[in-house]
Amino acid sequence: MSRVFGWRSAVAFAALAALPWLPGVPKYYLLLAFDALLFGAIAMSLDLLIGYTGLVSFGHAAFYGLGAYATAILLERGILSLWACLGFAIVVVGLYAAVVSYFATARRGIYFALLTLIFAEVVFTFFRYTQTFGGSDGIQGLPDALVFPGVAIDTPARKYYLVWVYLLLAYAVCRVLVTSHFGRVLVAIRENEDRARFLGYNVQKYKMLACMISALLTGLGGAIYPIRAAFATPDLMLWTESGEFIISVMIGGLGTLVGPIIGGVFFTLLRDKVSSYVDWYFIVIGVVLVVIVLFLPKGLLGLRRALGFGRWRATA
Amino acid sequence: MDYLVAVLLPQLLHGLVFGAALGLLALGLTVIFGLLGVMNFAHGELYMMGAYAGIVVIGVTGSFWLALVAAPVIVGVLGAITEAATLRPLYRREPLYGLILTFGLALVFREGVRQIWGGDMRRILPPFTGSTPLLGMTYPDYRLFLLGASSVLLLAIWLFFTKTRAGIIVRAAVQDAEMLDGLGVNVPRVFTLTFAGSAALASLAGLLLAPVFTVYPQMGVEMILLAFIVVILGGMGSMGGSVVAAFVIGLAQSLFSLWMNPQRVAIAIFGIMIVVLIVRPRGFFGREGVLE
Amino acid sequence: MKRLTWLALFLAVVVSAVWVAAPAMSQSKVVKIGDLGSKIGVFEGYGKYQTMGVQMAVEELNAKGGVLGHRIEIISEDDETKPGPAVRKAEKLILQDDVKLLVGAVSSGSTMAVMDVTKKHKTIHWNSVSCAEFMRTTKFHKYYFSNQPDSRQQANGLAKYILDKMGKKVYLFYTDYAMGQSDGRQFKTAFEKLGGEVVGVAGAPLDTKDFSPWFGAINASGADVLFLAFAGTDSLRLMTQLHSFGMTKKYKLAGIDCFLLQQDLAAIADPMEGFVQLNHFSPYNPDPNMQAYNARFKKKFGVDANIAAGSYDAVLFWAAAVEKAKSFDPDKVAAAHEGMCRDNTHIGRQCIRKEDHQVVMDMHLYQVKAGQNLPIARIDGKDAIGEPMVGKDPVEGFTWEIKKKK
Repeated sequence: MSRVFGWRSAVAFAALAALPWLPGVPKYYLLLAFDALLFGAIAMSLDLLIGYTGLVSFGHAAFYGLGAYATAILLERGILSLWACLGFAIVVVGLYAAVVSYFATARRGIYFALLTLIFAEVVFTFFRYTQTFGGSDGIQGLPDALVFPGVAIDTPARKYYLVWVYLLLAYAVCRVLVTSHFGRVLVAIRENEDRARFLGYNVQKYKMLACMISALLTGLGGAIYPIRAAFATPDLMLWTESGEFIISVMIGGLGTLVGPIIGGVFFTLLRDKVSSYVDWYFIVIGVVLVVIVLFLPKGLLGLRRALGFGRWRATA
Repeated sequence: MDYLVAVLLPQLLHGLVFGAALGLLALGLTVIFGLLGVMNFAHGELYMMGAYAGIVVIGVTGSFWLALVAAPVIVGVLGAITEAATLRPLYRREPLYGLILTFGLALVFREGVRQIWGGDMRRILPPFTGSTPLLGMTYPDYRLFLLGASSVLLLAIWLFFTKTRAGIIVRAAVQDAEMLDGLGVNVPRVFTLTFAGSAALASLAGLLLAPVFTVYPQMGVEMILLAFIVVILGGMGSMGGSVVAAFVIGLAQSLFSLWMNPQRVAIAIFGIMIVVLIVRPRGFFGREGVLE
Repeated sequence: MKRLTWLALFLAVVVSAVWVAAPAMSQSKVVKIGDLGSKIGVFEGYGKYQTMGVQMAVEELNAKGGVLGHRIEIISEDDETKPGPAVRKAEKLILQDDVKLLVGAVSSGSTMAVMDVTKKHKTIHWNSVSCAEFMRTTKFHKYYFSNQPDSRQQANGLAKYILDKMGKKVYLFYTDYAMGQSDGRQFKTAFEKLGGEVVGVAGAPLDTKDFSPWFGAINASGADVLFLAFAGTDSLRLMTQLHSFGMTKKYKLAGIDCFLLQQDLAAIADPMEGFVQLNHFSPYNPDPNMQAYNARFKKKFGVDANIAAGSYDAVLFWAAAVEKAKSFDPDKVAAAHEGMCRDNTHIGRQCIRKEDHQVVMDMHLYQVKAGQNLPIARIDGKDAIGEPMVGKDPVEGFTWEIKKKK
């Protein structure tokens, strides 16, 4: 277990838990931190696929958005229990992810990326044009969810702890997975799929499972988003959103789990801050991306090593 | 019979026009994919910049025809510079990096254009504005020209790849770049020139379509997804496949909208695509083992 | 030690980012207001003009000593035309910057999402651009005000004129998302109520490249008038294509407030010739109030104002309400707004209706002649606004189905 949760992670999570108590933190920063950590956690789930298995999903926005709609649909109908929302999201995202991963993992490389993209576009188009779910406006004005009857997730601090718990659990799941035998098989598949197959592993089964786990974690992240934002709209499923998840993974560093979390946080904060001052912030983001691909293929965590801070355990 | 002439045939024609234009865009994408293994997310921005380059040239010279020659040259040079500066270092890395890099380049190009020319929509006037009575309706001459010009271009590209030495070298590079290198061909130069050619083709499509679709910074993003679908459907790296698929998509889009609620058309097209990929996993003409 | 570096890096990223823009020590006697809109993308033409309108109002107010002795400061934010960023930016404006007034957003989807935020955090919220019909009905809350005519007002303004002057058979073509659906719905309801016939309806997805596949159905419908509910880039593309197919000559054309902005008209004068558009404001209207406002706007920014300039009056209404309430307390300020009238707004005297906080606005109809909007009719605001429907579903029982007439 110590391999799973080193003291570094423990301290980092403790520090994050202390954030709401720091003096003078405006409530807005807790909500911004919610978005940043949520984005980070989703990037981490995606890293399971990109960094460890070598599969680039361009359709994670669909898992995210479906999770969000699952929650939104229940909240809208007055079912306020957090657990019901999460359960429903798991069912909905799970069913969809099973179909996508079955067909997509049969293909490699770019085909996988584009198949996930097309499936996601179908889901996006469906929600965009289905009036039952609000069409392009989505579902808005949702009430606060309840952890237990009478305990609503209403204040920024409570919302922040919700994402904190989610990040903690998602991180634990990912860490356990990549340090397990299962995780090593995934890396073996990434390195040489044919060899893994000759060694007797059912490669597609492993890929499918990795895809499902990543999708479900992302879907759960989507499921808590309406609890914070009080709405779910089709924009959450736009393919550019998937692109932003990938950008976060790249910024942080592939195959490191921690890197994508930092990448997601960095990306969210960068966009939020820069966009308050200039209207050409997409150029900043684009340049950051190009520079990272060209000069820092291992992301921000790679920067640490480049500066001589010792070797990072690049992959489990 | 009335239905056939008054409704079905014009709709077929719409589909052909759109399909031919889409084919031009997808062709450059598929060649780059076959050659460099890069799914070029910035292709839509090259298409967009073709239209803006056209606006500049028309502004200076006042001639649409001159712009039709100059814009592809300008964007082609820009493409060559981009390839040499950013994509070349990535050849030996995984295709993923190319995908992400071009995603970043697309953001920079799009926002750059918006900063220079603003986000407003602009128009390029067609060089001729008449219309021809055709199939019981008046059909704009420019659209007929568009269909003709795209078809001629597609034919010329086909001849280039099958009849000229340069074309054969590019096709050989798609098959096996290392072998070509061993034969003494300057492969990086082939790559750069091909990228420039692909950029020029995209910009030509952008400018040709500009009088119909109008010009604004987001125009590329809206086309690129459709172009991707065409490339996958046709079979990645297959040029003939892309052209066929472009016409299939163009026709499907205009014919479906006759019988179903237009918003379902998009879903239907994705549906076709998923079915094709499940039945024929490599698209219409895809070969086994290409970049998998 | 490397573990410590790792930790330090992680904490540094989080903590520094959180503190980078921590609010500066608030100066005394400054009140902030938020301007939230689309600065990028299809709707930037509205967002940028909204910002200009706010700037102009604030400059005038500050020159006279601000409001309640406070100097006004504007904080502008971009919402990327998406509800997600819109909500986040609204929260930032309210919770971090402590704005006392929020103006925005541009797209209806964003504005409705922001309404939940302003309701929850009790912040005065003015909308000067969005026109979905839900904002003063189902989504309404006591802190929300609007001086943009919503689609119901616009439809009421247009339907009668079209029926009397243009034709009895209308084909309704709309952009298939919130704004277009809402305009299409309201127009169909209003037009049929008056006895007109809608002979066909069709929706095209947002960002449709080629509209020609729909033209066959339009030509087969036997309509006299084409009612177009589109906006931004879609409008321009649609008009260009209709024109190339000779359909701008064949039909009489009419459209809604946001169909085309004044500054885009010059580029597309030819296809737009004869188009009847509803605008509550136009720089070409000889109305002295509009002319006076536009002259000031043009002097300051070098361009003609457009419909988004209503944000100017939103700020002035709010400032007047604050002075009247002698407080920034949102409940008092909201109450002070109700029933308030102001002279010399950008379109003359205007009053806020108490029931649904909608400004009663005259609707002006214009016809395009050689790239200019020329006024052809004026519909009194009381006739257009319709009954208050707070809490009622404005689209209940609505159907897109065509009623066949013998």
